[in-house]
Amino acid sequence: MNVLQTRRLTKEHGAGASRVRAVDEVDLDVPEGQTLAVMGPSGCGKSTLLHLLGGLERPTAGEVWIGQRRTDSLSERALARLRRRSIGFVFQAFHLVDELSTAENVELPALLAGRSLREARRRADFLLDQVGLADRARHLPSELSGGQRQRAAIARALANEPQVVLADEPTGNLDTAATTDVLRIFAELRAAGQTLVIVTHDERVAATADRLISMRDGMFVDDTRLLDGTGRLAGLIGLEG
Amino acid sequence: MGRVLLVVRLVLADVRRHKAHAAMLVLAVTAAVATLALGLSLNGACEALYRQTRAATGGPDVVALAPDSGPDATRELESLATHPEVVGHNGPYAVVYSDLAVHGRSSGVVVHGASLTPGPINRPLVTSGEWIRPGGAVVERGLATALGVKVGDRVTVSDRRYPVVGIAVTAATSIYPWAAGIGPLGGPSDPSGLVWMTAKDASALAGRDLTVTTAMDLKLRDPSATNAFRSSLRSPTTRLTLHSWQFIATQDTVILSGTEPILVVGGWLLGFLAITGVAALAAGRIVEQTRRAGLLKAIGATPGLIAAVLLTEFLALAVLAQVLGLAVARLVEPAIANPTASLIGCVVGPDGTTLVATTLLVLAVALLTMLPPTVRALRTATVSALTSPAQYLRHRPLLTTLSAVLPTSLLVGLRLTARRPGRAVLHAFSTAATVTGITGLLIGIAQPVRPYAALPNIRDEQNYRLLLAVTVMLVALAIVNTIAITWMTAMESRVSMAVTRALGATPGQVSAGLSFAQLLPAVPGAVAGVYLGIFLFGIFSVGQIAMPPASWLLAAVLATLFATAALTALPARFAARHPVARTLSAETV
Repeated sequence: MNVLQTRRLTKEHGAGASRVRAVDEVDLDVPEGQTLAVMGPSGCGKSTLLHLLGGLERPTAGEVWIGQRRTDSLSERALARLRRRSIGFVFQAFHLVDELSTAENVELPALLAGRSLREARRRADFLLDQVGLADRARHLPSELSGGQRQRAAIARALANEPQVVLADEPTGNLDTAATTDVLRIFAELRAAGQTLVIVTHDERVAATADRLISMRDGMFVDDTRLLDGTGRLAGLIGLEG
Repeated sequence: MGRVLLVVRLVLADVRRHKAHAAMLVLAVTAAVATLALGLSLNGACEALYRQTRAATGGPDVVALAPDSGPDATRELESLATHPEVVGHNGPYAVVYSDLAVHGRSSGVVVHGASLTPGPINRPLVTSGEWIRPGGAVVERGLATALGVKVGDRVTVSDRRYPVVGIAVTAATSIYPWAAGIGPLGGPSDPSGLVWMTAKDASALAGRDLTVTTAMDLKLRDPSATNAFRSSLRSPTTRLTLHSWQFIATQDTVILSGTEPILVVGGWLLGFLAITGVAALAAGRIVEQTRRAGLLKAIGATPGLIAAVLLTEFLALAVLAQVLGLAVARLVEPAIANPTASLIGCVVGPDGTTLVATTLLVLAVALLTMLPPTVRALRTATVSALTSPAQYLRHRPLLTTLSAVLPTSLLVGLRLTARRPGRAVLHAFSTAATVTGITGLLIGIAQPVRPYAALPNIRDEQNYRLLLAVTVMLVALAIVNTIAITWMTAMESRVSMAVTRALGATPGQVSAGLSFAQLLPAVPGAVAGVYLGIFLFGIFSVGQIAMPPASWLLAAVLATLFATAALTALPARFAARHPVARTLSAETV
């Protein structure tokens, strides 16, 4: 069953002569439990694709489906509710709320979803333990290293047990050691059956995915299945040549 | 010289980039300075007008009033002419107590029986028409203005009609409606105006069974020695009442007794609103200012030069606003200092007290709003200032936990308030200042009407108009402040709001949260404003004040809160609908 699906998904920026097609009639199917990496040069439309999938931007044309629900025509309010329940975001710049502690940041999505404080706190403690930040729960983001901040952001993305986690350059601001930590967490999520879509420049991140899509000028130019369910190289689905 | 040029260039460039900020600062400070300057200089202005009227009309140094007419009164008054300190006199003349009707309205009047050719002492200045002639009356300008009398109208005095041949002013009596000065037999008099007729016409009126007293104007050897002159005449047998020119000048300012506190308190409240509004703007620019300071440090600027760059802009704008405010006060002052039109002349410039007070106000606005961000900018290390935005957010675990159990909009609102508690305090004070003005206006409206016979009470009317004007200015500034503070809050928190939306908060919840963040401090501010308004009105009022119904005050508080919610809704809604992806992408780079 596909968790994410797009049909002829298109996003244009600007108007007239300066109009740019950031995403150009993209068809995508992401089955449940798949880890998909999207790579491509800067400006090829990767992040825009991620924003469209997560309902942070509206497409110019085409369809987006999350599970059985078409999302491109939903109202802002309905999209927000969908994000609460079904989507977790991880950003390159972490985007933790500066004045909240690590635990309070992780609790936030659960509270927005209407869960009780006790429930939200229990879930946050569990997730912080999972990402190795239990001892940093009361620290402010400014007191964490870059890697720790990104791990906290991942924990926050998982707070409402989303259907899919969308990660935009999750290791873009991290050093090698921190990148390794994040990759370990992604590997654990993948093993647990979490659907992941990761936009990245980092070959090491892409190498951990089940599938790799290459983008250029808003289009998919390559779609490669890297590993099968057992972790073996499965095969290539070439779109070029 | 180079440094000064650099500072000027940087300041001008910054003003060009932030025209709206500059305009708001100038507007707010101008309103505050003009109001305060008016309030502080009114008494002086009124006295200056009296002195000019006195000079133009040969005003007497002392007016002697006998409690009745007849040979005894005349003899008693005439004996003053031979007093060694008296160098000239006018009279004795009859003062007839009557009433005057015109255009369907009427007023008490005193009729002075005057000479056809006035001498050097008490020579009323005719401002339109001509001086009295037999059968024709001249109406004092204050009374004429109140009744709408013009030259050529016919007025009825004690059932007898007289053509109005002229309108004039004098310094020998107090301004309308206190022209009588003292009633028959030395008792109090009703509010009344002044009319001049020939001595013969006044005598004819007196013969119609009206109360008549006698008066005489005196010129002293030493015009300032009026007290000594009065003391020399004090005896158990004297029946005369002596009004010195200083007494008349002071009496003239009584009409402004309610005006001065309205304007002075209003000026300080407006100044306070200016501080809160401009401080919110300055705080909103703190990141930019810190980066600017970092850049200047990096290229070798000294702390002094950086402070000069950051402070000069606000100081220069505030001083410009002071000049504008003083000019506005100067233009408006004659109308407010002379509400009855009984005096002539022009007001002089602001006195020392006014200059000092308005300078203090201007410095308070400029320094209180710009000093904290400037000090912060100077203290921030150069590299930090250049590389990271200066966010000075404090973790508030108690408030965060408390907000966690609230619905999403309240959670967002409370956490926004916790981000900038100082701004919430400013907003509370801003609301308090506004509601103080509104409460003052409501109390003013609730006071019993005390008309001058059938005519409106000029003093009450002027006080009401000024109270209304000050309140309108307070409300206007508060509106600008509320919108500016909401917008600043929205802009500063745009990333965390975008993150909140990315995590599932709806635009409506974020928008409501932004509004709630403004509404929360407005509640205690509005309540405090009611009590402050009552307190200030009580301090500056004489005697018992009539309180408006509690429902009025409650309605004022609720209306203020409703207006705050409505005013914040638009910028909050606009900010909450800003695309999330664009905000977050902009912060990623």
